[in-house]
Amino acid sequence: MKPLWLYLHFPHLHLDTLFKNAGSKTEAEQPLVILHGKQNQIVQFNQAAANLGINSNMGLGTAAALSQELQVIPYQYELEEKKLQEIAEHLYLVTSDISFFSPNGLLLRIHNMLSLYGGLQAYWILLKKQLHYFNISYHYATGQSPFAARMFARTARDMITEDSQQLQKALLQCQLTDSELPEKTILTLRRVGIHQLSDLLALSLKDIAKRFDIDLVTYLGRLTGEFHHPMTYFHPKSTFHQYIELLYEISHTDTLIRPIHQLLNALEHFLKVRDLLTQKIVFKFIQRDTDPLELEVGSAQGEYQAKKWSALTQLRLENLSLEAPVYGINLTTGETSIRAPEKADLFSNSQGALSYLQLISLLQAKLGQSAVKQPMLIDDFRPEIANIFHTANQQSTFSASYLQALRPAFLLPSPQPLREKAAIVNGPERISTGWWDNQLITRDYFIAHTYQGQWLWLFKTTEGKWFVHGVFS
Amino acid sequence: MNPLIEHLKNKRLIWQANQKKPCEMLNDNALTGYPELDQALQGGFPQQGVVDIDSPLGIGELRLLMPSLKARQNQTNKLLAFVATPMQINAEMLAEYGLTLEQVLVIEPSTADEALWSAEQCLKSGCCHSVLLWHKNLEIHQVKRLQLAAEKGNCIQFMFRQKHQISLSLPVPLAMKLNAKQQGVKVQITKRRGGWSADPFVVSMHTYWPELSRQHQPSNVISFPQSKVG
Repeated sequence: MKPLWLYLHFPHLHLDTLFKNAGSKTEAEQPLVILHGKQNQIVQFNQAAANLGINSNMGLGTAAALSQELQVIPYQYELEEKKLQEIAEHLYLVTSDISFFSPNGLLLRIHNMLSLYGGLQAYWILLKKQLHYFNISYHYATGQSPFAARMFARTARDMITEDSQQLQKALLQCQLTDSELPEKTILTLRRVGIHQLSDLLALSLKDIAKRFDIDLVTYLGRLTGEFHHPMTYFHPKSTFHQYIELLYEISHTDTLIRPIHQLLNALEHFLKVRDLLTQKIVFKFIQRDTDPLELEVGSAQGEYQAKKWSALTQLRLENLSLEAPVYGINLTTGETSIRAPEKADLFSNSQGALSYLQLISLLQAKLGQSAVKQPMLIDDFRPEIANIFHTANQQSTFSASYLQALRPAFLLPSPQPLREKAAIVNGPERISTGWWDNQLITRDYFIAHTYQGQWLWLFKTTEGKWFVHGVFS
Repeated sequence: MNPLIEHLKNKRLIWQANQKKPCEMLNDNALTGYPELDQALQGGFPQQGVVDIDSPLGIGELRLLMPSLKARQNQTNKLLAFVATPMQINAEMLAEYGLTLEQVLVIEPSTADEALWSAEQCLKSGCCHSVLLWHKNLEIHQVKRLQLAAEKGNCIQFMFRQKHQISLSLPVPLAMKLNAKQQGVKVQITKRRGGWSADPFVVSMHTYWPELSRQHQPSNVISFPQSKVG
């Protein structure tokens, strides 16, 4: 099988990323340029800026002279790189071997994918559909070597073919400047009368090696596919991690929910295509002048849907107070698990909207972890110790094998002195225990009936003092 | 009976106050466990909805519900939720009566509003069979909301209030007033959908809790025979 490569070149990746985030119409009308700060060079610009006559390689001064409404955004290498990563993750759903050409190119090894998708055209249609999700502009080309595909794509050939003659013809049409050779080498080649790439390819590699340096030989060998070109391929991450920078600072928690929605939608997409659930998501709000604020949102059952997560997040946000305006939000997930189908009874007449774990997550999100409890019993005679309340939905190892007879429904937080008249109905029951852990009690418990009709649980200490410990309800 | 009325009745054009919805007729398994109460309620607690209980604390109001709570728990594997209990609930008592503690949820909200919110969420979630709420100031619209939530989740809510907090009649299918009595509790049904409030009656708890009910003991004071009065 002949190797075949596909290169995707994103000429306006920075601009497209910002556009998608903003997404308003006014942006399209306003001239917008991305300026490389160090080189003082405009690297990307939108249509409105192009209409004004702005082109790349212009300095800021020239561009600003052309329009006073020009909006200038500093170029960020990291932003493009991150976006590229995102695109690669998405493309990984349909293609296996992806290699990065940072900051604005992706190389795909496609010859091994063609038999899966039944031909190049079918594969390309599928890939185009994946790219459509991002709504960005791109150029593409296939080639018999990585460098050839890259060169075609960067010169906007936009061709998809596996015909080797056609590809060879396209290669011969290229200029030397289209290639990635350093300018110095191009100049040296010009001096000996080589202007076209075809001139250079007409020579044998041996002859070139005699006259020129090894870099040129390597490049040409890789371009024609004679030399092996080693590649490192992309592996998708197993956890979700996304950061968005807000276009303006937010100091109210109500307004935070909009950008959070955007993050949660991305999370849903990430989890859905992997058929995963996550039980915890962590927001990090980057605040101006203060430390970042972390917000953990948990769901005991595990969710992937943005709708469910947003409801839980909203409840948590109600209790959150911001110390300073937020300018960036980071979202990461905790551990993920494979989604299992929900088993619901088809025949039960009324079906609730939530499952047990969802209900607990919902309550915990609003009231706090400690407010939702599950009672447990351990083997102890002391009522204060026998009762254990642990946070709901934690697997507990406690269990009591032995139950005492006749205990009240409610226990007072601490025993209170008896202050009213009561008639003893049942008792005594002596509890004398705890000598091993320094909480020794010796009490005689009675059940008493007051004149108001209340049933109390009383005890008498060894000193003869009476206390109320519980109420039979 | 007047043949005209009979005719109308056969055509289902007359509604009689003792008629119930078909779904409510089927609730033979919602028995309260106390024959006196079952009789007064004509079958037992409703399957769903809000039950308003006006009772002082500690007279046996929870014990009155225990048999039906246990029956409901045995039927389903749903949860029993305690919301805003006046004191710490004692798990020993629940276990002693045979409730499965894994199916018990204790919610301790910090404010009254949060208590209502939690109760509503539990009711409409569809994963609780009963919700017990202790609340002080309930308003009509709040009760209506709880009633709708209970119907949605097919859940019953018992609402405990104390006497001095009650000012107006709430839109609930069943309202009861409890008073202390030595043998058990004295129940007065103040409101019941499709029924009339009857005279108060005493529910004896002797069968379930012999230790917590005092039978009327015949007075052991024997009058001194008049003839021997010297």
